[in-house]
Amino acid sequence: MSIITRRTAIKIGGAAAALPLIGSRAFAAEKVRAAFVLIGTPDDNGWNYGHDLGRREMIEALGADKVETTVVTNVAEGPDSERVFRELAQQGHDIIFGTSFGYGDAMLKVAKQFPDVKFEWATGYQTAPNLSIYNARFHEGRSVLGTIAGAMSETGIGAYIGSFPIPEVVMGINAFHLAARKQNPDFITKVVYVNSWFDPPKEADAARALIDQGVDVITQHTDGPAALQVAEERGIIGGFGQGADMSAFAPKAHLTSIIDIWSPYYIKAVKSVIDGTWAEGSSWEGLAAGEVVIGPYNEKIPADVVAAAEAVRLGIIDGSVHPFAGPITDNEGTLRVEAGDVIDDGEFWGVDWYAQGVEA
Amino acid sequence: MQFRFEKRAEPSRTMLYVTPVAAVLLTMVLGAIIFTIIGYDGIGAVREIFFTPLTNSLKWQDLAVKAAPPLIIGGGLSIGYRANVWNIGAEGQYIVGGLAATGVALLTQDMSGWWILPLMGIAGIAGGMAYVAVPAFLRVRLKVNEILTTLMLTYVAVNILNYLVFGPWKSPTSFGQPQTVAFNDSQSLPYIIEGTIVQAGAPIAIIVALVAWFVMSRTMFGFQVTTVGAAPKAAAYAGFSANKTILAVLFISGGLAGLAGMLEAAGPFGRMVPQFPSNYGFTAIIVAFLGRLHPIGVLFAGVVLAITFVGGEVAQTTIALPNPAVGIFQAMMLFLLLAGDVLVRYRIVRAGATGGREAI
Amino acid sequence: MSATLLIAMLITMIGASTPILLAALGELVVEKSGVLNLGIEGMMLTGAVVGFAVTYTTGNPWLGITIAALAGAAVSMIFAFLTLSLSANQVATGLALTIFGTGFSALFGSEYTGKPLELFKSIFPASLAEDPYLRLIFGHSPLVYFSFFMVFAVWWFLSRTRAGLILRAVGENDVSAHSIGYSVIGIRYGAVAFGGAMAGVGGACFPLLLTPQWVEGLTAGRGWIALALVVFAAWRPLRLLAGAYLFGLIATMELYTQAAGGVFRIIAPEMWASLPYLATIGVLVIISLGRSANANAPACLGKPFEAGH
Repeated sequence: MSIITRRTAIKIGGAAAALPLIGSRAFAAEKVRAAFVLIGTPDDNGWNYGHDLGRREMIEALGADKVETTVVTNVAEGPDSERVFRELAQQGHDIIFGTSFGYGDAMLKVAKQFPDVKFEWATGYQTAPNLSIYNARFHEGRSVLGTIAGAMSETGIGAYIGSFPIPEVVMGINAFHLAARKQNPDFITKVVYVNSWFDPPKEADAARALIDQGVDVITQHTDGPAALQVAEERGIIGGFGQGADMSAFAPKAHLTSIIDIWSPYYIKAVKSVIDGTWAEGSSWEGLAAGEVVIGPYNEKIPADVVAAAEAVRLGIIDGSVHPFAGPITDNEGTLRVEAGDVIDDGEFWGVDWYAQGVEA
Repeated sequence: MQFRFEKRAEPSRTMLYVTPVAAVLLTMVLGAIIFTIIGYDGIGAVREIFFTPLTNSLKWQDLAVKAAPPLIIGGGLSIGYRANVWNIGAEGQYIVGGLAATGVALLTQDMSGWWILPLMGIAGIAGGMAYVAVPAFLRVRLKVNEILTTLMLTYVAVNILNYLVFGPWKSPTSFGQPQTVAFNDSQSLPYIIEGTIVQAGAPIAIIVALVAWFVMSRTMFGFQVTTVGAAPKAAAYAGFSANKTILAVLFISGGLAGLAGMLEAAGPFGRMVPQFPSNYGFTAIIVAFLGRLHPIGVLFAGVVLAITFVGGEVAQTTIALPNPAVGIFQAMMLFLLLAGDVLVRYRIVRAGATGGREAI
Repeated sequence: MSATLLIAMLITMIGASTPILLAALGELVVEKSGVLNLGIEGMMLTGAVVGFAVTYTTGNPWLGITIAALAGAAVSMIFAFLTLSLSANQVATGLALTIFGTGFSALFGSEYTGKPLELFKSIFPASLAEDPYLRLIFGHSPLVYFSFFMVFAVWWFLSRTRAGLILRAVGENDVSAHSIGYSVIGIRYGAVAFGGAMAGVGGACFPLLLTPQWVEGLTAGRGWIALALVVFAAWRPLRLLAGAYLFGLIATMELYTQAAGGVFRIIAPEMWASLPYLATIGVLVIISLGRSANANAPACLGKPFEAGH
């Protein structure tokens, strides 16, 4: 992390006084300076942890003599983040990663004011000449989880806990459910939205409500181990880690996890700044590029189930398996995707329906 | 030797002005000591939180943007608090004001013209007033405690916001994410200083403070408010209607909170998003107290608080001070100010051994 | 709905209600003494992080709860000193206490984030605690039984003891209570400390009863619901118990009906979430309309007491 001394702080202030108020870069650093703006703290064992791990691995790969980083935590989405992005740009950072959807408007504004600084918006949907977007195909990991859930569930009922019905969650549910149905054609996925961005006790109660109604495999699209810990306590077949390996919280129930690995992208992006080859772009990689990784399988998963899960994982990597291959009927009985067709990347964000057998 | 408090016949003018300054200074000293003891750079924390935003001219615009909403809201609240009317749900009125303005923006999406922004402003004020109308009515008709009703309605406002942005107001072009369409140019506040991010909020905040000062110190209404608050019996004797005063101050505070909501929605946010509630309504309560419920005092308090917010972000990036430290500094400042209040109303008397008393 | 599912749901409901019930019981006593402490959320967060830290370090949840209570009481003394000894404004001081507790718990707790804990479960033998029916009686955490006990203890104290009568008198008319020789400030100090301790225990319920982890902001606004609950219950301890379970039921129903599938999806989730607050306003209105019930609201609520003036 960069530590700015009192002297440099004064230098920034002094140099800036001569510049227009919007400011521009007050001094040039020898190293490339990268900044990461997080919505929470790196010790959340989930989303923010993943980004911070990616940052550390990026430094390791490129060398601490080539790059130095700044991390800002607990940055609220909206105008508060705009101030942080501007501050980081003014401090002379070369590339700034904003790791939450709600930073977008602020990043687009600040990017316009600092054309020399590169901006990277995680989970974003709109680029600019100095703003790229990047995301990961988490739903590919959901297909692997769904395969395990479908094969292992004894009740045939799985569950998915989400915060709010946003497209990424809807598609995570569909990927999970479609894969589970390949293992068990009668599989049912119950969906509970906690309708809050952050409420671990409510997530835990949602898990209780689901398990009480026959669910024996549970997955969640919220940060933190709340649901997994309930799975452990109740002794159901299991649940999955989200964002990072969470087996410490639930050694018996933790079947496997989707691990976010951002380092391949962070290495590529920062290296392109060092080389002077950075360009506006949009990245959406998954299992194949190693940005979505399936964690270790719990010992209690039978070998044939591991094999099935691996087949899906390897199939997605080599392109022989598609998470959204038709025919897909929605849960109201309408045929949404013809046999032989798939939901492609362009159609992905427009999906607002659930596959047949999803109870939401 | 024993000390005790003796009530002053008149509140001390000197202490009135000295104690807030002393509270801020003491916060710096105590904060530096405490944070050094628990292992952080205590002096650096105080420098970055309290001074960098002032010495670094790049931060001035941020102060203007961050101070404006709590100032506008706090100005209204302080008038109400003078009358002993405790609207603590300004956050809810701010949200509803923002929503009302957004409603106008969505209706005028395809239009342009100078009249749209004023219309949004009127809608914002009306929204805030309408939202405080229920507690106001309950207070004057049924003597229902407005502290509780205004606070409860804040949480309801958050739910109204969520309902709208996840439902009927969701933009069709933002990939299913919960947000409205971006406001067009006629619906967005212009930047009033070329090359900065300062919009209409800051000057309006100053105007509000000046008008409030004039009204409170130079008009009959101001006298009436103060009398109803400080000496309800005398007010009744003088023929002032307590109920009319209560209604007036509640509508003023609600309307200003609504206006602040409109200015934030049409300014820094530029659209309505679930992250719109920014705690400005609660921050404004602190601002009102730090400013001793005096309009000009509120102006200073708002700037001081904005300094700590902006400085807290600087401290995070420069000396890696954890984000929660800012909250501790703010709480300490408020605690010390409230403790200092006693010196305004009382003098400390030393009961000496000789039986004589020495006033300090 | 089968009987076992109903029992399971009741158990979840009781769990969800317990922290709110405990914190609200404390606040009820505080308000009955004529003081309004808006710092519940801050005291709960303090109790939650301290309860986690002590239990995690010592492995002893009883000790965790005790220290959490002491921590809650300790931070409440900041409020008490400012508002009672120095007559500072209660609304502002309470809000400052919440800001303080939020910041303190986040800073102090950062080293405990991402660490697992064991839930504080029923101490009855498994044959009783895990029986599908009997667990409704024996399957709860000691914290739940403690909350029951405290409801009756507070009810008994306020309505059946001389000390409770004095406390109510202080909240009803501080000047008269003072003039007949009671220490208004002393009694209020005691009430605020009790309120802080109960909020501390309520906070400790989060890592020990609901979700065995510590994460910044773990209580997620429950302190404000506790505040609403006191009013909803019209300052009556037994009604507080019913009110806490009603609030818990509303929160739990939302989840159970979602899990049951589309059948119950008539009410928007935002409406569900707003219900406790709207109901509280409704109760306030009803209280104000009925003349006799109104007497139960402490007349001096939130007003500073200045001895001798």
